[in-house]
Amino acid sequence: MTRSARRLLPQPVPAVSEPGEGTSNGAATNGAAPVVVKPGRHREATLYHALAGAGAGGKRTLAELREAALRAYEELELPVWRRSGFWSTSVQTLDLDALETSVTEDGVPDVVTRTLPGAARAGRIVQSAGAVVHVELEEALAERGVILCSLEQAFEQHRELASEWFCKRLPIDRHKLEAANAALWTGGVFLYVPQGVVVEEPFEIVYAIDRPGVAQYGRTLVVGGATSEFRVHEYDVAEDFTGQALHANAFELYLQDGARCRLAQFQDWGQGEVYDVSTRFVGVGRDAYCHWLPALLGGHLVRQHLELAVMEKGGDMAFRGVFFAEQHEHLDVFAVDLHETGPSGGDVHWRGTATGESRASFEGLIKIDPGAQQTHTYLQIHTMMLSPKARVDAIPSVLVSADDVSASHGGTVGELDETAIFYMQTRGLDRAAAVRVIVEGFFEPLIAELQDEALEQLVRERIERKLAAARADIEAYATSR
Amino acid sequence: MADLEIKDLHVRIEEREILRGVDLEINRGEIHALMGPNGSGKSTLANTLLGHPAYEVTQGSIVFKGEDLTEAEPHDRAKAGLFLAFQYPVSIPGVSVANFLRMAINAKRDGAGGDPINVKEFRTQLQHAIELLDVDKAFTSRHLNDGFSGGEKKRAEILQMAMLKPDVAILDETDSGLDIDALRTVAEGVQKLHDEQGLGALIITHYQRILHYVQPQFVHILMDGRMVLEGGVELVERLEREGYDQIRQEVAAAAGASGV
Repeated sequence: MTRSARRLLPQPVPAVSEPGEGTSNGAATNGAAPVVVKPGRHREATLYHALAGAGAGGKRTLAELREAALRAYEELELPVWRRSGFWSTSVQTLDLDALETSVTEDGVPDVVTRTLPGAARAGRIVQSAGAVVHVELEEALAERGVILCSLEQAFEQHRELASEWFCKRLPIDRHKLEAANAALWTGGVFLYVPQGVVVEEPFEIVYAIDRPGVAQYGRTLVVGGATSEFRVHEYDVAEDFTGQALHANAFELYLQDGARCRLAQFQDWGQGEVYDVSTRFVGVGRDAYCHWLPALLGGHLVRQHLELAVMEKGGDMAFRGVFFAEQHEHLDVFAVDLHETGPSGGDVHWRGTATGESRASFEGLIKIDPGAQQTHTYLQIHTMMLSPKARVDAIPSVLVSADDVSASHGGTVGELDETAIFYMQTRGLDRAAAVRVIVEGFFEPLIAELQDEALEQLVRERIERKLAAARADIEAYATSR
Repeated sequence: MADLEIKDLHVRIEEREILRGVDLEINRGEIHALMGPNGSGKSTLANTLLGHPAYEVTQGSIVFKGEDLTEAEPHDRAKAGLFLAFQYPVSIPGVSVANFLRMAINAKRDGAGGDPINVKEFRTQLQHAIELLDVDKAFTSRHLNDGFSGGEKKRAEILQMAMLKPDVAILDETDSGLDIDALRTVAEGVQKLHDEQGLGALIITHYQRILHYVQPQFVHILMDGRMVLEGGVELVERLEREGYDQIRQEVAAAAGASGV
């Protein structure tokens, strides 16, 4: 789908066989006729090789992992991701040598107190640059065995637990910044919710950058014990500064049998030249459930590699996402709905828009592994065009290696509906207000799924602010059509 | 001077002249019916009165309560007290009926320099409108027109009209595609708003059906972009008997006789 496709086309869904498997048994029961494809010549082939896979952890110690990663870091160039000739994400404009990893503890940055809602929480941990500067946890939860601390501290005080899960599914050397993270991370976040513990309020994880010249290597490990229930809200925020900074994150979250987690991320790196190159992996265990919703609302160059994997039978998940790129921002999302065994359920639903001269690309992949029978999943991506020079691409794909499954995708490319604008104007709303109603209405189905009023409000306000900033631009586009 | 004065209105859309000199006066508290065959310019008049950007006024004027609105933005016309009930109401996903109503009321109050409506007052007004129009309360928490049936959409139009309290409402074929129950609700709603709030209305319709439930004091017949006949409710009965063709022939004959 590109901007030339107006309004919406439900996409027929070709079932694409896995590379090397030949052409005959791609059998997604999506109602479309099977499509014969040549193996290995598709974009999907590249995607397939990009997946996290087994993870670098295993029997290696933290020191060994750091050492291996350091070697990779020194050998590799800054990455460029290319796709089909018309899209590339290059981090080579980043002057990595000029950045510093600072571990000075100089308090919670203003941008954190200014941005985060003051609503009730179970705990909060804040990393500024390379140091954890604030940790709080409700006492009652600590007494029940909940752990919230820096990952460094976890490796000292809960070594066995941390080692068991660390890098279980995350690799350390696919590109230079992933290697840099694995080699050089400091601070970090460790959250452990023991078996059976149910926590109503969110755990807040904050990564903040308050000045240029910083390379922040974020590292988060979250483990939900069997039948635990909890929420995690991550905030990625920065001051509006002039100059470059880097946030490279490696995030992993594992849910054990029957655990349930609502994971949300609020990301807005502000006006500085912040590069964010992150990998996130969420693994859903037996009969476990995860609702994951990143709200990617700003950053000079953002590359997010996101995988939500049902790792064991009966796992279920809802993978949501909201993005809004503005000005000259560049956003590249690769989101994978991965089913390693069945029966399993998946439901992917993303919505995004772009203003100014920004670029946003969402690539969504459904991957159903051999043997993951009785998997049912659906991927939908909706985009809205608001600006003449912005570009949004949405590329859904499906890789199916089991024959008793249903997997399909769909999406829409929308533009502002002039009839709807006129309709609202006849009720007294001015044009800008009408546009805001349409765009907010476009995002609302997902924002409402956050099920947290304070966070919902924050996301709504941020979208409203970005729309107001792009008002002239949106007007120019609307009248040029 | 009438509240709404339309004088010698000429309107074109994409180089085609649709209205060719329309005159019409409507006051608060008056119910007018505008009838005419398909393509006569009825919807063009409705859209032009609210300032739809696709319609270009090439001659004439629209004056409302002494203010020339010919070139005004649609939202300014709404704030001045005009309302258009759409033939095909647009769905606004993600926004509940109640929230939309609150936004619209506040936009209007803001335009008049007032404060936003307080929650209690809004609820009271909404409750009153709901009872007046006999709609389900759950209706107001649904997304506006999103997945609504034809009848629900038209009820939502009348509900908005009741809440926004315009001086003059234009109902563009609000009766089309409605079953008799929905039609009765809509028509009775208009009648009640007329009786209670002194609403002035221009009911645009292709058929006579709706006029059995709401009594117009004035009836206008539009053909080929001009008002060709005006009178009282007896015109409706005549139209029912004779049809548009008969009237068209008479008008043509009269025009021929007068040498126009």
